[in-house]
Amino acid sequence: MAALGARRLLRPGRRWFSETVPGAPPPPASPLYPPVVASITAKSKAAKSRRLQRFNQRVHAAATVEEKLRLYGKLQRPKYTVYPQTFALNADRWYRSFTKTVLVPGMPPRAAAAKPPVAAAGATPEASRAEAPGAADAPGVAEAPGAATAPEPAAGAAPCLNIDELRSLACDALLQESFYQNKKRPFLYRDQDHTPGPFLTQLVSTLAASLSGRNPLLAASSLDLNPEVNYYWHHGEEVVAHGHRKGRVDPVRFQIDDNPHLQIRVPKQLPEVVPLGSDLGDVPVIDHKPSKLPLFKKQYENKVFIGSKVADPCCYGHTQFHLLPDKLKRERFIRERLEDQIEVVYRSNGIASLFAWTAAQAMYQGFWSEADVTRPFVSQAVVTDGKYFAFFCYQLNTLALTAETIKNNPRKNICWGTDSKPLYDVVEDGNVKGFNDEVLLQLVRFLLNRPKEL
Amino acid sequence: VFPGVRQAQWLTKTKLVEGLPPAVQGIVDNPAHGLQELEERVKHAVSHARLWDTAEVAPRREQYCPLLFENLIHICRLMSGKYPSLSKRMLARNCRIAATWERESILLQVRGLSGILMNSMTPIPPVASKEEILATKEHVLETFYPIAPTIDLQEVNVYKELNDTGQCFRDGYPYSHPHTLFFLESANVRTNRFRPEQLRAKMLMFAFGNALAKAKALHGNDPKVLEQPVVVQSIGTDGQLFQFMVFQLNTTDLVSNDGIKNLVWIDSDQNLYERAQCVPEVKKRVVTKPAGISGFQPDTFKKFLALYLHGTV
Repeated sequence: MAALGARRLLRPGRRWFSETVPGAPPPPASPLYPPVVASITAKSKAAKSRRLQRFNQRVHAAATVEEKLRLYGKLQRPKYTVYPQTFALNADRWYRSFTKTVLVPGMPPRAAAAKPPVAAAGATPEASRAEAPGAADAPGVAEAPGAATAPEPAAGAAPCLNIDELRSLACDALLQESFYQNKKRPFLYRDQDHTPGPFLTQLVSTLAASLSGRNPLLAASSLDLNPEVNYYWHHGEEVVAHGHRKGRVDPVRFQIDDNPHLQIRVPKQLPEVVPLGSDLGDVPVIDHKPSKLPLFKKQYENKVFIGSKVADPCCYGHTQFHLLPDKLKRERFIRERLEDQIEVVYRSNGIASLFAWTAAQAMYQGFWSEADVTRPFVSQAVVTDGKYFAFFCYQLNTLALTAETIKNNPRKNICWGTDSKPLYDVVEDGNVKGFNDEVLLQLVRFLLNRPKEL
Repeated sequence: VFPGVRQAQWLTKTKLVEGLPPAVQGIVDNPAHGLQELEERVKHAVSHARLWDTAEVAPRREQYCPLLFENLIHICRLMSGKYPSLSKRMLARNCRIAATWERESILLQVRGLSGILMNSMTPIPPVASKEEILATKEHVLETFYPIAPTIDLQEVNVYKELNDTGQCFRDGYPYSHPHTLFFLESANVRTNRFRPEQLRAKMLMFAFGNALAKAKALHGNDPKVLEQPVVVQSIGTDGQLFQFMVFQLNTTDLVSNDGIKNLVWIDSDQNLYERAQCVPEVKKRVVTKPAGISGFQPDTFKKFLALYLHGTV
C-alpha cells in the first residue's frame, strides 16, 4: 500500500531532503493519492456507514420515481405489520410515537371565506348569507333547520349550499340500502358488507357528484372503490435478538397495508393547514418494544402504493373513507367494559391510514427519509361504522423518521381528529329519525376542500 | 346453438332495429353537452382501470372490468354539476328480478340477479313515435321451425308466479322507474364469460323482464297495449367491447303472435379501445408495441354518456 511504502522511506534517523525550496509553488490541486476512506466490505462500523452512504447516494441518483421506490424497498427483512384497524388497547398512542404525530382534538380552524354559506329552510337568501359568516367561525356548528322534512330549494341563491337537498340525498341512500331494497340476510359476521358498506358508497358517490359543481377539484377527481394503500418506513433502532445476525444494530421496520372502503384522489394537492415547521403539541414517547402493543413481525414485499401507480395524474389524495369491521363494533367494547377504547379505534385508524397515504404520496413525488418533504402533504379521512362518523385531517411535515435523520429534525406530523358522532338515530318504516345535520355538514366541508387558486 | 338475439326476440315479441334510436343519437351529436373535453378524462379512466390500479404488473379482468365501469359511471355522475336533475338517480347493486309472461301457451319466466340497475325518479319518455309502434303490427316475428323457440331454456316447475320489480324494492321507493341495466362480463376465464351475441340476448331478456314488471305494477296484470310505453335501457361490457340497447315495451299482450310488437334498438360491438399494453412489447431489441392505451374510440363513451343522460336532457 502506498502509505506503508512512504513510511518505510521516512524511517526516523534517515532524513529525506526535499527538493523544494521555500516559496515553492503550491502543491497541485488534484490529490496525488485517492481519498482514504473506510472499506466497503469489512465488518466495522465505519464500513457499515460507508455502505449506508453509498445506498443513499444510489437512491438520490435514481432517474425515475419507480426506480427510487424499487431501491428503497429492495432489502427485505422482518418488519412489524401495523394494522390501522386494531383492537389493541391505547393503540393510537403507540401509532403516534411510531409516526411522530401530534394529535390535536377538533377540526383545524379554516378561514371564514372558505366556508360555504348554508341556506336554512324558509329563510331568505340575504338573511342566510348574513347569518353564515357569523356561524362560520366555530368549527362543526350548523344551523339546524327546525322540523323541515320536505326539501325546499334555496330561491335563486347560487352560492348558498342547500342542506335540505343534501340531507334528502343522504336519507335516500340510507333508506335504499337499509329499507327499500330487498336483500338476503347478512352473512355471518359480515353485517358491515350488507348495509353500511353500500350505504357509504352510495352516499359518497352521490354527494361528490352533486358537489362537483362547486368544487372543480372534485370534477377532476378519481374515485377508487376498495383500493390498496401501503407504506414502508424505518423508525428507531434495536439490536437483533437471535439468528445469524445476532448482536447487530438494525433499524426497526414498519409496514402498513391498508384497504380503505373508498378514496378520492385528485390531480392537485390540498392546501397546507399550518406552516411546515409548526409545533402544536408533543409526540408520546413509549419505552417499550413495539411488539408489546402487540405487533408482530413478518418478512414480505416492501410496498409503497397510494392506490394507483406513479403514472396516474391524480397522484394526490383528497379524502379516504374507512368502514370499521364487525370485530370492532361498539357493542363489543361496551360488553367488555372498554368504553374508552371506542374512540381509540377511530383515532388509530385515522392516524395510521392517513400517515401511510400522505407518506406514500410524498414518496411518489420523490421525497424520502433522506430527502425530506419541502411542502406539507395534507389529506382527510372519515372513519365510520355505518352510523357513527369521526373526521380526521392529517398534515405530513416530515418523512425523516429513521434513527439518524430524526436526531436534528424538529418537525412533527399533525393530525386533527374529532370524536365519533352519530349521523342518525334509527331507521323506522321508511323514515330516518334523528338525522344529525352537523355530521353531514362536516362531510360536505371535507368534500368541498380545495386549493385556494381553484 | 342460435344467434341468441333472434330467439330472445321471438320470446319477447320484439322487433329489432339496428343502431341507436334518434333521440339518443341526438344527444350524442349535440355539442352542447361538452363531450369533447371528457375525452381526456375517459382516457385516464381507461388507463387507470387497465394499467395503473394494481401494485402488480397487470390487473385481471375481474378487477379491471368493474373498475372501468365504476370510473365511467363516476365521470357520468359528475355531469350532475351541469344537469342537477341527474341527481335523481340511484344505483342499486345485486337486485333480483322476477317476471312471468305467456307466449303462445308457453309460460316463460325471467329470474335472477340482473347485474347493476340504475333507477330514476322519472320515467324515460318513449323513444319511438306512434306511427312506428303501429307499423310493428305488420312485422312478422321470425320463427325457427322446426326448432322450438324454447330450446336451451330451462324447464322448471313454478309454483308461485312472482311478478314485481317490487320484489327488488318495497313500495314507496322514490326511485321507482328502472332506467338502465348494466351487465359486466368480468370472469377471468373466457369460457365463463358470455359471448357478445349471448350477452345481447341476456340484456334483452332482463330489460324486457324489468319493463314488464314495471308495466304490470303501473297498469295492472291484464295483457293490453300500453298507452305509455315503458322504456328500459341496457349496457353490457366485458371491459373492452360495449353493447348498447334501448328497449321499449309497447304491449303486454304477449300470447298471440300478431298485433303490436315491442321495439328494441341495439348498437353492438363497440370497442372503447384497441389494446391496453401494460409492459411494452419488445421483439429483437425493438419496441413493437409501446406501453399504454392504443386505438381509443371516444364515440363509444359518447354513446355511454348519451344513454346515461337520456331521459333528463
